[in-house]
Amino acid sequence: MVNETTQSAAGRAWTETDVVYVDQPELTMSERLYLPQVFGGMKTTLRHMFKMRLRKEKVVQYPEQKRQLRKEIYRGVHRLNRDDQGRVACVACFMCETACPAHCIHIEGVESPWPDREKYPIKFDIDELRCIYCGMCEEACPVDAIELTPEYHLVGSSRDEMIFDKEKLLMVYDRTKDEKPRKNPMITGY
Amino acid sequence: MAKIIVDGREIECRERIPVLYAALEAGWDIPHYCYHPGLDVVASCRLCLMEMKMPHPKTKEMDWSPKLLPSCQTPVKDGMEVRFNSDRVRDNRRDCMEYYLLNHPLDCPVCDQAGECWLQDYSRKFGEATSQMVEAKNVNPKKDVGSKTLLYQDRCVMCSRCVRFCDEIAGTGELGIVNRGSKSEIDVFPGVPLENELQGNVVDICPVGALLDKDFLMDQRVWFLKSSDSVCPGCSTGCAIHVDHNRDQVWRLKPRFNPGVNDWWMCDEGRFGWKYIHDERRLDRLVVRRGAEIEYPDWSALDEIARIRFGTVVKDDGEEKVAGVLSPFMACEEAWLLARFIREIAPKATLVMGPVPTEGEDKLFPQNNGDSAKFTIRSEKCPNRRGIEMILKNAGGPSVSFEDFVKKAGQSEFAAAWVVGGYPGEWVTKEFASSLAKVKMVFAQDLFSSPLTEAAEVVIPSCSWAERSGCFVNHEGKIQPFEAAIAPLEGCQRDGNYLFALSGESGLYNASRVRAMMAEVMPEFGKLHVPPSLPKHAH
Repeated sequence: MVNETTQSAAGRAWTETDVVYVDQPELTMSERLYLPQVFGGMKTTLRHMFKMRLRKEKVVQYPEQKRQLRKEIYRGVHRLNRDDQGRVACVACFMCETACPAHCIHIEGVESPWPDREKYPIKFDIDELRCIYCGMCEEACPVDAIELTPEYHLVGSSRDEMIFDKEKLLMVYDRTKDEKPRKNPMITGY
Repeated sequence: MAKIIVDGREIECRERIPVLYAALEAGWDIPHYCYHPGLDVVASCRLCLMEMKMPHPKTKEMDWSPKLLPSCQTPVKDGMEVRFNSDRVRDNRRDCMEYYLLNHPLDCPVCDQAGECWLQDYSRKFGEATSQMVEAKNVNPKKDVGSKTLLYQDRCVMCSRCVRFCDEIAGTGELGIVNRGSKSEIDVFPGVPLENELQGNVVDICPVGALLDKDFLMDQRVWFLKSSDSVCPGCSTGCAIHVDHNRDQVWRLKPRFNPGVNDWWMCDEGRFGWKYIHDERRLDRLVVRRGAEIEYPDWSALDEIARIRFGTVVKDDGEEKVAGVLSPFMACEEAWLLARFIREIAPKATLVMGPVPTEGEDKLFPQNNGDSAKFTIRSEKCPNRRGIEMILKNAGGPSVSFEDFVKKAGQSEFAAAWVVGGYPGEWVTKEFASSLAKVKMVFAQDLFSSPLTEAAEVVIPSCSWAERSGCFVNHEGKIQPFEAAIAPLEGCQRDGNYLFALSGESGLYNASRVRAMMAEVMPEFGKLHVPPSLPKHAH
């Protein structure tokens, strides 16, 4: 059997005539000096340095000063919402885990102790280092239990610390619920 | 073979099967809930209705029937013409699907069946997106029908498959339909829970999420599971099964269609009897004892260790002092490789088959019923006694029964023995343990630590069947292959791998390659029993 990779799209094997050799073009005198390019770059830098208007508008003295965010749509640290009774709103349906392209969500569902609910997560871990903050989990959630918050100060001194468990995610909700209220607190159940 | 015309296309099919099954086999996707090829036909779900050409009562001309007919209840007849692609059939399916969803809670996100649910599939393919229902839905609490099964009545479509299964296959008839019309529901009689030994099957045949397995409840979403074709090692019936696993963890076993062996079913003992695979007490490293010293060598050293140590015994004590105990839990390939290795080192060595565990008598189903058996749980609780017997016969030379081996070993007739275990439970008896003390050198290949592994000079951790590949020979002599589902436990190696290297072969162990080598000396192994797959849209 002929290995597929050695075959062209037409189905026959590669021959020497199929290969085109491309030589690297010779550098001109000014290109070999590099200096014109260096000064070209410096020109842009200096232009930005002395543009006062740009500095006033865009530059933020972080961390004393914080950027203005559009809180409704900013995709920062996740949170797990609570329902109107203060319980975790998640029903452990694994839709976010299924939708997650980075495989950063790990859930363990068990039978819930409440009569109006079938299932709830006993464990809900998000690896914030693995997450790519795409917001697919938020979109997949049928009960709007997982949401991305405007929080972006995400620091930790170890990898373990950056794996947010259920309690930590609920704490993020308690912290951010005034800033960004839960989208649709009416839907509970399942 | 009969020839029938479906949707204008002529198909050939077996005689006397329902039109529904003939169409399914020919590739049609005909929705059906109540029809199951292993159960009686009740034609109650009305999803598979079709139009058929029949003579007009007055003019005697062939024309389409004025009413729709259930295709599951109509046997094929040579020359008949039916159609499923008419508007009347499509309208019927759509209306039926709307009816099925009237009281359905639509709790797919938390339903364990989601992903393998025929209500989901059919409503997507044949149903409508909206419901005209304005009244409140019937709410029915979930019922604990048995120790292993849970019934979510509001998800039920009343196909009565579970009821028929308990009547016809299990023969115990615990489940029944109570009440009538839209109030009808599945239930058990008071004080008589669903406790037959085949109850796991009602979960499999339930086309929706009404009957669920307590063992698997809320563990995993089914779309995360990968499925491997395997054979149940629980008894000598050799049920074909699917091992459903995710991230090297087995989550559940499901029966695989295997006509003539287990048909569509499997017993609960096999279904829930795999937990030992993930037992924390399993042996997980190669141990070599030199007197009081304990070493943990690399797997690549095993080949040399075995050859040197067995070679020394053969030189000092003679060939006939070597014995090999092959376990009926080994795959044929592994047993053959080991037998060949022992025979190569010591041609006059004694080969023994390990103890064959038995429990009570064969259990025939349906119970309490004079009918012929539709399912059997064998008393022989190991998968491969026949296979090991075939290999011992082929290997020739001295071979004794396990009892004789224990007796002879007790009389110090053996100086070296390679003992294979692999039993899910405790199997080393006191007599065996005391006779092992008389054997100078023991190689123990087993799953769990036992008096055997304590007495052994070399302890080789074995793998469970889900981690190995090979074939088992069932009680009828059917040679059934099974594939490895999960990676071996960390620290272990697939038994085939080191036995393959040990017998002097190069390259990786591949069960089919070893089988081809075996077929040269044992032509029986050239022909495997591989069951046909179910039609794509059948369930």
